[in-house]
Amino acid sequence: MILLTIFLMGLGSYAMRAIFILALSGKTFPPLALRALEYVAPAVMAALVMTMLVSPGGDPVPALREVAGLGTAAVVALLTRNHIYVLITAMGVYWGLPYLI
Amino acid sequence: MAPLRSFWKPEAGYSNDMSTSRLTLADRRRRGVLDALVLVLPAIPFALVFGLTVRESGVAIWLGWSSSPIMFSGAAQITLITLIGEGASLAAAATAALVVGARHLFYSFSMAPAMQHQPGWFRWCAPYMLIDQVFALCVGKRDLPPADFRHYYLAAGLTFWSFWMTFTALGLFVGPVIPVGLDISFATPVLFMGLLVTAIDSWQKAVVAVFAMFITLVLLDLPSRSGLLLAVILGIALGLLLERVRQK
Repeated sequence: MILLTIFLMGLGSYAMRAIFILALSGKTFPPLALRALEYVAPAVMAALVMTMLVSPGGDPVPALREVAGLGTAAVVALLTRNHIYVLITAMGVYWGLPYLI
Repeated sequence: MAPLRSFWKPEAGYSNDMSTSRLTLADRRRRGVLDALVLVLPAIPFALVFGLTVRESGVAIWLGWSSSPIMFSGAAQITLITLIGEGASLAAAATAALVVGARHLFYSFSMAPAMQHQPGWFRWCAPYMLIDQVFALCVGKRDLPPADFRHYYLAAGLTFWSFWMTFTALGLFVGPVIPVGLDISFATPVLFMGLLVTAIDSWQKAVVAVFAMFITLVLLDLPSRSGLLLAVILGIALGLLLERVRQK
């Protein structure tokens, strides 16, 4: 039964990822859909970042070092557009901050 | 059109004119692998934790691991196996896992126009690999020539797939060997934040991103991460609304 559940879940996972890609493959997108599409990536990635930091039932505010690390990431990404710099500086802040305070 | 940017640095000699791309398909594949590897490292603890989750759930380990190739969806797998282990009904566990995975609907929608220029076999294969990291890496590559996009996508997707199969299996036997104190998992939100910022090319998108973060926090306690779904939908609506405001 568990195997069947996992198998159905596999179908479900695939279906959710495939539905628009396959269903809209030959369709022309209405202008509104194309404009809405532009905001999917910013909205979903922003929401994802937050869910990675906080867990349900826990403290709804991320820790200071996490906020500082993400803030650094955002600023460095904006200034340099180089993700290696982003990684180094943000992780530096995240790991270093507890020693400074 | 959004300016094209590679994960590492702006592409040398790459303007908005597609024909000036100097990167070969092999270059694309190499970049796909490299970019994915950077996101693989911080995901290692997560993969190992999944192995531990399977062991603690009491589900047969081969059965628990089989969800890796069958579902290939980390958070949904952990939700499913944890709830089964806690004695929830299979239907309840499956429903929760589906809600957790529902954000993939947005990825599918977002990728649909780029996939229109792809061959049929790729349209059928690509969704299987459309996980968070692959979406985050490839959404900025949507405007590449179709072949370049496909090679990059496949390289990144297969890299992540190989990693997930190996390390969720490893987690069954070794448990979380990475010391928790090292805390490399934080690199995932950091890299996603970087990808988010470089994907923003208008003030409306910036407002939408901040708004979506805020709503996610406010709706944190909704079951099975459904707050994330609402945050995205409200974010998109806000974006469209803001465009209106500017036009008036």
